Amino acid sequence: MSKVIIGRIGAPHGVRGEVRIIPLTDFPDRFQNLKSVFIDEQIKLEINNVKYNKQFIILKFKGIDNRSDIDPLKGKLIQVDRKDVPPLAAGEYYNFDIIGLEVYNEKNERLGKIEQILKTGSNDVYIANNAGKQTLIPALKKVVTNIDIEAGRMDIILQEEME
Amino acid sequence: MSRSIKKGPYVHESVLKKIDAMNATNEKKVIKTWSRSSTILPNFVGHTIAVHDGRKHVPVYVTEDMVGHKLGEFAPTRTFKGHSGEERRTSLK
Repeated sequence: MSKVIIGRIGAPHGVRGEVRIIPLTDFPDRFQNLKSVFIDEQIKLEINNVKYNKQFIILKFKGIDNRSDIDPLKGKLIQVDRKDVPPLAAGEYYNFDIIGLEVYNEKNERLGKIEQILKTGSNDVYIANNAGKQTLIPALKKVVTNIDIEAGRMDIILQEEME
Repeated sequence: MSRSIKKGPYVHESVLKKIDAMNATNEKKVIKTWSRSSTILPNFVGHTIAVHDGRKHVPVYVTEDMVGHKLGEFAPTRTFKGHSGEERRTSLK
């Protein structure tokens, strides 16, 4: 993956070509130092000005000076290069790194490939799929023993279930 | 109207029985339950409970700040997948 999604273009803001951005990132402050973004992975747009308004970010793109210029961009996802994502603390991972990892149990049996991450309000849950059979893995240190992003592998010890 | 204090918090009998049995033997197993309306009690802390979301059992690790809430609050019944390439993070608890 070469680009990472950080927001979605919403409605125009005012008449001077500013646009409302719905943040799709855990780091909404990152917009403050943003110089340019990509749309559809290819179109590069320079940023002139950044403002924060409630839960939204108001961006002014270079060359877009009126409200009607924004209409074709509405609903598009804004992206940045993969190398520009903020570094994470130890023990934290980006969802896009986790999705696609192959999961193995303590007997080195393959349990499937992670295809979704569920937010529960407590621990996250990784959903691994192996030819239609789902395994739900709680994101707990006692369950997930090793994550190797480079090797594309996750090792787990599933706890015994009580019916 | 809120639940009468006299009755105490509602917890499904079998969930409570299993938790008490595990606490007595100091065991840690995942408890599978369909009882989303059970209240989380202080003696649930540290256990993992697989709460039914209508389709599957979602494993939820109980922490102190979850006490007083219902189990169902931590197993969403509607899942929004979002975009796979979003700048979102996850960590191990």
